[in-house]
Amino acid sequence: MNISEWKMSSEVKGAVEFRNVVKKYGSVVALKELTLRIEPKKLVTLLGPSGCGKTTTLRLIAGLESATTGSILIGGEDVTHLSATYRKVSMVFQSYALFPHMTVAENVSYGLTVKGTPKRAALEKAETGLSMVGLAGFGNRLPSELSGGQQQRVAVARAIVLEPEVLLLDEPLSNLDAKLRRHVREEIRQIQQDLGLTAVYVTHDQEEAMAVSDEIVVMKNAEIAQAGTPWDLYERPASAFIADFIGDANLVPCEIVGQNGNETSMRVRERLVSVPGVYDLVNEAQVVLRPHKISVGGTQTPGSFPAEVTYAAYLGNQIQYTVEGPLGHLFVTSEVTAKPARKGDSVFVNFDEQDLRLVA
Amino acid sequence: MTSAKSKAMLTGVFATLLTSTALAGEVNVICSAEQPWCDLMANAFEAENPDTKVLMVRKSTGETLAQIRAEAGNPKVDVWWGGTGDPHLIAAEEDLTQPSGVDTSKLLGWAQNMHDISDGKTVGIYAGALGVAYNVDVLEDKGITPPACWKDLTDPSFAGEIQVANPNSSGTAYTELATFVQLFGEDEAYRLLAEIGKNVNSYTKSGSAPSKAAARGETGISIGFMHGMVKLASDGFPLKIVAPCEGTGYEVGAVSIIKGAKNPEEAKKWVEFALRADIQSRAPETGSFQVPSNSNAEVAEESPELSLIKLIDYDFATYGASETRKRLLARWDKEVKPASN
Amino acid sequence: MKRTLTLWVVTGILGFCIFPWYMTDSGFWSSQTLRDPLVMDSASGLVSIFYHDRWWLFLPLLSLIGVLLVQCLPLRPVLEARLIAGLAIFALSFCALQGLVISRSGPSVFPWLWGEAASSGQPGMGIGAGLFALSALFVLTSSVSHMGRGRGDAFVTGMIGLIVSLVVVFVFYPVLHILVQALQLPGGGYAFSVFASGFFASDIWDLSCLFGGNACGVAINSIFLAVSTGLGTTVLGLAFALFFTRTAFPAKKLLRVLTVIPIITPPFVIGLALILLFGRTGTITEFAADLFGVEKSRWLYGFWGIYFAQMLSFTPIAFLVLIGVVEGVSPSMEEASQTLDANRWQTFRFVSLPLMRPGLANAFLLGFIESLADFGNPLVLGGNYDVLSTEIYYAIVGSVADPARAAILAFTLLLLTLTAFIAQRTWLGKKSYATVTGKADSGQHAALSPMVKRFCYGITLPWAALTAIVYSMIVFGSFVKLWGYNHSFTTEHYVRAFGIDFSDGIRFVGAAWDSYFTTLTISTAAAPLTALIGLATAYLLVRQKFIGKSAFEFGTMLSFAIPGTVIGVSYIMAFNFPPIELTGTSVILIVVFVFRNMPVGVRGGVAAMSQLDKSLDEASLTLGANSFTTVRRVIAPLMGPAMLAALTYSFVRAITSVSAVIFLVSAKHNMATSFIVGRVENGEFGFAIAYSAVLIVTMLAAILGLQFLIGQRRLRRTNRVEGAVAA
Repeated sequence: MNISEWKMSSEVKGAVEFRNVVKKYGSVVALKELTLRIEPKKLVTLLGPSGCGKTTTLRLIAGLESATTGSILIGGEDVTHLSATYRKVSMVFQSYALFPHMTVAENVSYGLTVKGTPKRAALEKAETGLSMVGLAGFGNRLPSELSGGQQQRVAVARAIVLEPEVLLLDEPLSNLDAKLRRHVREEIRQIQQDLGLTAVYVTHDQEEAMAVSDEIVVMKNAEIAQAGTPWDLYERPASAFIADFIGDANLVPCEIVGQNGNETSMRVRERLVSVPGVYDLVNEAQVVLRPHKISVGGTQTPGSFPAEVTYAAYLGNQIQYTVEGPLGHLFVTSEVTAKPARKGDSVFVNFDEQDLRLVA
Repeated sequence: MTSAKSKAMLTGVFATLLTSTALAGEVNVICSAEQPWCDLMANAFEAENPDTKVLMVRKSTGETLAQIRAEAGNPKVDVWWGGTGDPHLIAAEEDLTQPSGVDTSKLLGWAQNMHDISDGKTVGIYAGALGVAYNVDVLEDKGITPPACWKDLTDPSFAGEIQVANPNSSGTAYTELATFVQLFGEDEAYRLLAEIGKNVNSYTKSGSAPSKAAARGETGISIGFMHGMVKLASDGFPLKIVAPCEGTGYEVGAVSIIKGAKNPEEAKKWVEFALRADIQSRAPETGSFQVPSNSNAEVAEESPELSLIKLIDYDFATYGASETRKRLLARWDKEVKPASN
Repeated sequence: MKRTLTLWVVTGILGFCIFPWYMTDSGFWSSQTLRDPLVMDSASGLVSIFYHDRWWLFLPLLSLIGVLLVQCLPLRPVLEARLIAGLAIFALSFCALQGLVISRSGPSVFPWLWGEAASSGQPGMGIGAGLFALSALFVLTSSVSHMGRGRGDAFVTGMIGLIVSLVVVFVFYPVLHILVQALQLPGGGYAFSVFASGFFASDIWDLSCLFGGNACGVAINSIFLAVSTGLGTTVLGLAFALFFTRTAFPAKKLLRVLTVIPIITPPFVIGLALILLFGRTGTITEFAADLFGVEKSRWLYGFWGIYFAQMLSFTPIAFLVLIGVVEGVSPSMEEASQTLDANRWQTFRFVSLPLMRPGLANAFLLGFIESLADFGNPLVLGGNYDVLSTEIYYAIVGSVADPARAAILAFTLLLLTLTAFIAQRTWLGKKSYATVTGKADSGQHAALSPMVKRFCYGITLPWAALTAIVYSMIVFGSFVKLWGYNHSFTTEHYVRAFGIDFSDGIRFVGAAWDSYFTTLTISTAAAPLTALIGLATAYLLVRQKFIGKSAFEFGTMLSFAIPGTVIGVSYIMAFNFPPIELTGTSVILIVVFVFRNMPVGVRGGVAAMSQLDKSLDEASLTLGANSFTTVRRVIAPLMGPAMLAALTYSFVRAITSVSAVIFLVSAKHNMATSFIVGRVENGEFGFAIAYSAVLIVTMLAAILGLQFLIGQRRLRRTNRVEGAVAA
């Protein structure tokens, strides 16, 4: 079997659905009434700080935990009471969980042999899987003889040779160094798209999430904070938490003064601005100012605020400032100019009201 | 199916069952005598009855009694052979054994007595007198005059040199206690025992332990059954045996058939076999020097000659009864045990 | 999944209809039914119902057939599972009930209800009933898993069900028989006052010896001895562990053997050797008396003698617990301490020692429990120092049997063990002592401070010398005619025990052969079962969550905490009568060993399992393997050392244990230790010691063989991998 044939057989694979799923450990609530639908062939990332419930969600899909109430569907079939063994999902673990007493080939063919595939056929398929992750010819090694990145790829190969309906990845890159991470995440994304797999990916790294996902589900305190495409989350954060968690954001308090058709107007300090969209907010709110959307200049412009540079760092491709003024502490990134501001300089900061987003 | 028919079938089934068991031909024996003697008996029995397999295991009397009690109603044992008579009498009293129906006419008086007081449930096979043994080397070393009577044992010169078993755990020691009561009367007996207790270095759990300790010199003097002492002396230990001048009690080793035995015929055969003169005469081959119960059996030269020992008329019926036993032991716990060091 | 359930239902029905329902004269495995299916005692359940009027057996059969019907009905899965579970529970409980009610002598309650056929009683359950009950149990557990319990895993619920049932039947049920007697009035009937007055009696708790009185109560004596032994063996064990891991003493390997031998020594032997060496006329006592004029005394008989013997016997156990812990202390923590300017003593005192706390606590607990349950040493060396284990024995077999007192004393002993167990848990608390994190640790262990090193050498070397002397004397004793009196060389003891007659083919004429072969057979059968059940229990405890887990854990520890004598008698009381009739068979010996030694397999398994990352199992499960395959292909291969330890330990314990088997041995199945005890009672020390020496050699050979076998398997794999890499 070659790669294109795999693609064919994966056409029929399905979606994951959570219906009012609650998970409690004794009195501790790990998941509050989660309802969520993951579309087929999409890579969806569960993102959030530690203890937010993202790993619990993943383990519920795998069948490693059972829901306290509610139901879980995979490919339209109710699997709430089905054990992990019989679910058509496979998982890549944070620790890789390679079996130390088996060779790489035995590890990769393990899932096939336990399902009754003859040993030879299983080993052949394992070899195909290994070549997909760029490890052809490594089959006879023991996991302990591989580097971290190689072990990680073996774990991926082991999961995908089973042609799962859903591929689960639990912080798969957290044990790799920064350079390798980017490389491997691109590979994972590539394989997922080539095979047309539904993938659920858990991470706490927002950049990683932005880079690989079709959709991101941000979780906080055992529930979903916001779900959407990377663009949605960055451009239309539903809360200060999201704004701050996805990318960098300066949050500046403002006062809402009125709704005007499809626009909302408000006051940021003494400047009156209006932003598109209707927000269900009263009086107190915050505007989100992305660091690269703030301009720093030596001259006053309409609507600008005076500020003092308290920190300036040259990073080669950009300059980072921290400025202090009536808007509070602002973190600003700006393009490298011929004459950058220095620490202690008095400057004027400004923004375009089109770039403002309003959050509670 | 009518009940009459099923009953008829039942009988039929049991009949086949019984004959099939009988064909298998085995007898389960617990032996409470010394191991070599047990082996000799089993081999001799099998030699005479090649169709019957003897399944024998050796257990002490206490263990055996505990086992047949726990197994009562569905015993796995047919015959209990050997071991001191008291537990056999208790088993008879508790209805754990059944009358064997053997002919006891050839037996000596004390063996027949055993048979009579237990309603035929147990029969005497040997007798052993209670005595005192001392280690010649130890006493010489310490310059102590050997005892000749029970009362000598109260002498302070024996301080820390006497060892005897605890009657709560040992039948031997209980025989001693009962002997004292019969010899001196109850109050005087306890006074004497308490007095002797001051010289006792430890009350052991097992009845045969004191003589073994005396044989090795771990203690100077021991109280126990003479035949055990004879065996140790014949092994080469410097042990001298004393038959106390006031007279002494004795134990009667016994054999019983367990109630509800699965192989009653073989069991009876075993009892008859064990009472035969020629079989009893062979005991000394294995170093067992008890006096045989069959009047025609030969007595080994080494055996303590019962006729030379002043034997009391031991009242097994009274002192073997549980009531007396409990009372005497309770009093021993109160008056004798605390007096020891 | 549903197939599993149906398969069990069918197995149960087949078991009911084909195999003999009752135990036959020839044991479980009679093939008589197949030849003559209508004979009453070997009839199948079906034949019993229709041919022998035992109509009540029809009910359990009906409920299993009901399960098949329920499966055909169009029901919601959860409802269906509940119905099936209900039917299976009925089948099981009714099976047990009818077995308990209708004994050999007919029904014990409602005799009019059961009909005429019941009045002749029924024998113990046989293979048919066993198969039926097992099937019903698995039908129950499978249906429970269908309700979504145990993460829907039928293997896990099945295993929990099986082990819980085994523990209930072979631990709780017999122990209950004994403990109930603590409440029994002499004339029958029960009252709590019986227990209260017995339990608070002064002969158990008397403290007068502390205030210059004569003697303390047995419980106080036992506590005093057990605490001393626990502390002593822990300190000695620690000294040995430090000695082997942190010093560069040349002849370490040779000394290592000395730490194993006491574990594989049959009881009585050490006590006996001590008498012959240190008794009033012992070899060393005589020597000391001649040389230094030391007064020959009887110090050995009493507290000091038992303590001495227990130290010799149990130090190796403490050592085995502690060596793993001492090795496990992370070198980097010690290095960290030293870079913080602590000297070697401070590092040891404030870093290494506290990190060893779990090991120290475990070693103490084991020493404490072993000392409480030890029966052989107090019996031989006790003198007037009474302890619980011997008192219990004599309450059962003494000249006045007092089962109530035995039960009360057994309860007291159990209470002491439990207290120690809880105290240990409290002391350890919830602090983490994990130092093995899975990250490579390349540091070096700190060397011992001179003071600690002197202490280690000062303790271990003389102790090792002593052990060496004791054991060489044992060998010496087996080759002389009469130790202490006639030291002429002889092989007579060995010939009498293990003689072989070659004149007419090979005939094993030695007196010991019978019990020797039985012992080996039974130990060999019991060891793998013990390891299996122990490790399976460990798997459940570490990896699975279920209701009543802590009660379950306590239940598995129970049989270890109860003295062997009590277990022995309780087994006779429980298993001499229908429904489960095992006395006189080899099965009862195997069962008693399996459940008595299981706790050690559990403890070892729990420790080893905790070191295996849980994600390994989970990876296997998500890869589509069921729990059984996961256990077989992932967990079991990685548990090699724990398996080896459990196998070795249970093999050795089955050979050396004596108190539990004294009541259970029968003529057909006699065990070496009870045979040896008989010889010791008869004063045949040479014979007993010769037999013990042969047992020791046998066990050593078995241990080395096992190590070789399991070690070999790992080697082969590495070789293959190396070859592949080279190619």
